[in-house]
Amino acid sequence: MNSFFKKNGPLISTYFIIAIVFWLIFLIIIPQLYMLDLSFRPNLPPLLRGGPDDVHTLVHYKHFIFGSETSNDPYNYVDIGVFLNTIFTAIMVTIINLCFCYPIAFYMAKVAKPNSARLLIVALIIPFWINELLRSFALRILFAGEGVINNILLATGLIDTGINFIALDIALYTGLTYAYILLMIFPLYNAIESLDTNQLEAAKDLGSSTFRTHWRIVIPHAKAGIASGCTMVFMLTAGALATPVVLSSPNTYWFTQLIYQWFNMNDNWSRGSAYSILLLSVSVVFVLLMMRIFKVKIGEIVR
Amino acid sequence: MKSQHFLNILLGIYIFIFLTYLFGPLLIMSVTAFNSAEFPSITPWECFSWRWFQEGKIAYDGQHLAGLSTDWRLHDGLIKSLIIGLGVVCLSVPIGMAASIVLTQVHSRLRTIFYSVSIMPVLFPGVIIGISTVVLWDRIATIGGEGFLSDIGRNGIFLTILGQTCFISTYCFLIFVARLQRFDQTQEEAALDLGASQTQVFFKILIPYLMPAIASAAVIAFLASFENYNTTVFSILSDQTLTTVIASKVRLGISPAISALALVIIALTLMAAIIYEILRRREDKKKKERQDQLIYEQTKDSRLKKEKTGSFKIPKFIFVIILLIIMGTFGFNQLIKNDLYGNKCVSAAESAKKSNFAEQLKLLQQNADTVDEKSLEGGNLGGNQDYGDIFGDENLFKDFGGFE
Amino acid sequence: MSVLFKQDAFLIVFKFKFVKIIISGGIIMSADVELQNISVTFGSFYAAKNVNVKIKQGEFFSFLGPSGCGKTTLLRAISGFLDPSEGKVLIGGEDMAGIGPNKRPTSLIFQNLALFPLMSVADNIAFSLEVRGKSKNERRKRADELLELIALSGQGDKKVHELSGGQRQRVAIARALAIEPEVLLLDEPLSALDLKLRQKMRTELRAIQKRVGITFIYITHDQGEALTMSDRVAVMNEGELEQVGLCDDVYDYPNTPFVATFVGENNPFYAKVVSVDNNEVKVESQGNTFLATAGKINENQNHSFSPGDEVIMFIRPESIFIKNDNNKLDNFFSAKVNTIEFEGNLKNIYVKINSNIDVRFSVPNAVDTSELSSNKDVELTFSSKKAVVLPKGQLAVD
Ligand SMILES: Nc1ncnc2c1ncn2[C@@H]1O[C@H](COP(=O)(O)OP(=O)(O)OP(=O)(O)O)[C@@H](O)[C@H]1O
Ligand SMILES: [Mg+2]
Repeated sequence: MNSFFKKNGPLISTYFIIAIVFWLIFLIIIPQLYMLDLSFRPNLPPLLRGGPDDVHTLVHYKHFIFGSETSNDPYNYVDIGVFLNTIFTAIMVTIINLCFCYPIAFYMAKVAKPNSARLLIVALIIPFWINELLRSFALRILFAGEGVINNILLATGLIDTGINFIALDIALYTGLTYAYILLMIFPLYNAIESLDTNQLEAAKDLGSSTFRTHWRIVIPHAKAGIASGCTMVFMLTAGALATPVVLSSPNTYWFTQLIYQWFNMNDNWSRGSAYSILLLSVSVVFVLLMMRIFKVKIGEIVR
Repeated sequence: MKSQHFLNILLGIYIFIFLTYLFGPLLIMSVTAFNSAEFPSITPWECFSWRWFQEGKIAYDGQHLAGLSTDWRLHDGLIKSLIIGLGVVCLSVPIGMAASIVLTQVHSRLRTIFYSVSIMPVLFPGVIIGISTVVLWDRIATIGGEGFLSDIGRNGIFLTILGQTCFISTYCFLIFVARLQRFDQTQEEAALDLGASQTQVFFKILIPYLMPAIASAAVIAFLASFENYNTTVFSILSDQTLTTVIASKVRLGISPAISALALVIIALTLMAAIIYEILRRREDKKKKERQDQLIYEQTKDSRLKKEKTGSFKIPKFIFVIILLIIMGTFGFNQLIKNDLYGNKCVSAAESAKKSNFAEQLKLLQQNADTVDEKSLEGGNLGGNQDYGDIFGDENLFKDFGGFE
Repeated sequence: MSVLFKQDAFLIVFKFKFVKIIISGGIIMSADVELQNISVTFGSFYAAKNVNVKIKQGEFFSFLGPSGCGKTTLLRAISGFLDPSEGKVLIGGEDMAGIGPNKRPTSLIFQNLALFPLMSVADNIAFSLEVRGKSKNERRKRADELLELIALSGQGDKKVHELSGGQRQRVAIARALAIEPEVLLLDEPLSALDLKLRQKMRTELRAIQKRVGITFIYITHDQGEALTMSDRVAVMNEGELEQVGLCDDVYDYPNTPFVATFVGENNPFYAKVVSVDNNEVKVESQGNTFLATAGKINENQNHSFSPGDEVIMFIRPESIFIKNDNNKLDNFFSAKVNTIEFEGNLKNIYVKINSNIDVRFSVPNAVDTSELSSNKDVELTFSSKKAVVLPKGQLAVD
């Protein structure tokens, strides 16, 4: 501490300490801890908070599992269903994105000439400067009941009645895949780019097939990038709100929408917090899993 | 060798499909902004019109669909978004910078912990950051009573700035960390040795070095703040930003005004990208020229003498622009020729639809029973649920600028 | 005069006229530096251990030692970037404990120069004035003076990366001299330069020091550099001082086997003492007996040996001659020629004694060595005055 002050001088040290304490403590740690605490408390009107009724309870987590007391079902099938569906879909989206992006990333890193690779990168970035909501909206125009795709299909006579892409959740899944594709490409690109091209040539020289070269050389080398891309895509997909708001059908819920409802429409903040904690736990477990599977450090995942 | 060639062609096709997937939807959306029909589409093309950029229209069924220039909610949201963006930049850039510099000064275990906590916010779902900010500050406001604390604790703009700063600081942090990795710390020591105070070292050595990172961190922070939805939708409380306005619009009525808005944003993005690219190339060229000149000066090597006879090259993109302009004028002429542009076309389409609508209304009344049944099938969620449809959300409806 | 300021005519600049520029007012401000029992530890690792040395005012003093021996560490302790774990640094008789690097009357030239890449050359040079709040004019003036001094007049507006290696070197020196320090510390400043430039800069540095008259503390792992420039050198090994002394003393009278082998070339003969007569020691090595001189412990005292002691006798390559009628010294041995190496002004000849001890000796290029082909027997001779006997100890391996 002493050497810290000596190194930075009093003025700058004070700035550093204020900035960091403000950020780490007041913006990151305390809000999360308070939310965690709130999730274990009953939903009380503001006046009763801090009163005798304000005790720790598991009621919100129980609600998630067993449903409300008035219902007849033994378990809260709807909420658990939404939860599992969200996780499952997020995993699927992650896998699809990975398969989809790998060839592109490899092309940019190793096949394309530097100039065209640069151009491609700029081209990839541009759509992602545009708001996620608007990108989802673009898909909605395509997929709507009287949208472009249906109209084209009808006009060409491929189908007789319009397909309800939104009710079938096709729109939602396409939108989620579309939304975070960039966050898969770039970690992969960076990882593959750092691979020594000589290794690829050596492998080819030794008669390794294309598939085998990728499986044995490129993919192991890019594992940190894969872990990073998968983590980011999963996190953002599982926590997505904008895309589901625009593209989900009226009878499909994303878990974040559930949280939103508890929070804003039913004014049950503590239950909203409890559900948030559930989502957060999934995220944490996923990160740990990724670190374990790919044997990478957290610093390699977020870059 | 042949299979390699085949593979490359396959890859090319794949990339083409990929780019179509990325750009196709945006392109189609942009085109729909010019269709005068009140539903954003291409295939039943009514008329080419600018109405969605301007005043919008009163629909045949009496709804008012606002256009870009008349939608005060969008304008209001835009201003709030700008304020928030500015606030976030002012907070998160200094925070990210401080954290990244301190990271270079701590070691081993403390460093690992510090780094992990710093990057945590990007791994948190955005909604959670929004919620935790709101619940904490609501508590603070309650405890704080009637005064200042309760004012800011329930101020959506303030909360949004805090919530967004939480994770945008991490973006800035990462940008600074990357730049600092290449910083030669002996420079700081040299400055100290020459008699600079620590504060002077900071302002005269470190800040100038970090300037590019500060600029890009500011841009990224602003953009991230500007387009954030997940955190903002919670922390903004009763206020509205551009994204929440867009969200409520998009969710409810899908109006071509949004296509128009998107097109404006796309155009701005493209422009920024092109300007950036041009500036970069110019910079590169300048640097190279200077380098050549220096080498020439230093070595006096006649081989390096730069011939000034090089012909003036017209940049390729100018051809592209000219081509676009020609195509644009031609297409526009065609539109006018075929009466697909202008008020005449619009009013013709309108009256056609009005009569159509009247007929349909009649039809509907006849089949009222059947329709009722159909609409019931839609929502099979609910039942024992103690919450209704998300569309029932007051917030979403109340600020929707479309129906007025 | 200005016609002479050619890039290459750097030395000419140091005409007496310009001395005043550097030491404004003509008063030489120079200080002595005393290290009292300095130890620096990183964890349990001693980077410097019990270093005691007094560097005189106005002296060109070098620390010489292999890579990693703690030279930089010592310099950082003097300039104040490092607090020694034990001991004291005195500059001009004043204890420097608690005084930061920006308050000490020292200037440091870094191993990598650490010029500020974002500033122009002139701004680099005038940085120390800038942080002292001097006016723009004053800064400009001083920068111009110093630019003239380093023969870079008119190049003040260039960026650092636009200079060549040697020019950067000089800018670093000018920058360090701008505030008129009492002690200039140099951390291997020439290591990044190519051979020719390095040799030129040696002379120039020495000239600067002579003119400026301030204390120079110079660090290097290159013994040639240390010996050509310094008044005195300190040889370091593994954090400890092995020997401090005048250059020729260190060369001629090494105190330890490490110094004997690190400074210059040397042939070690592992031997046993046979008899001692005053300073003359008779040793036996693999069947040969030699007469040699006992080495010194310090400036005034010689090692004392008794018969039976395990010792090393050192004899330098240039002190061994081929025995002929003109060249008959008091020691002889015969050996077999192994290889001959041509090194420009010298020829290095490697021979083997009893087919296991490698000995190297060198003869001027002019000497005819056509008879010395591989595997030929040769009779060699050297003087007992030039052979130094030291107790067994660690050698420098390179
Ligand atoms: N901050 C530090 N932490 C731990 N060990 C250090 C640190 N700085 C230096 N050392 C160790 O101290 C020893 C001496 O380092 P120093 O830099 O003084 O060597 P040097 O003599 O200058 O070498 P070179 O000629 O290569 O520059 C080295 O073994 C180094 O590993
Ligand atoms: Mg060193």
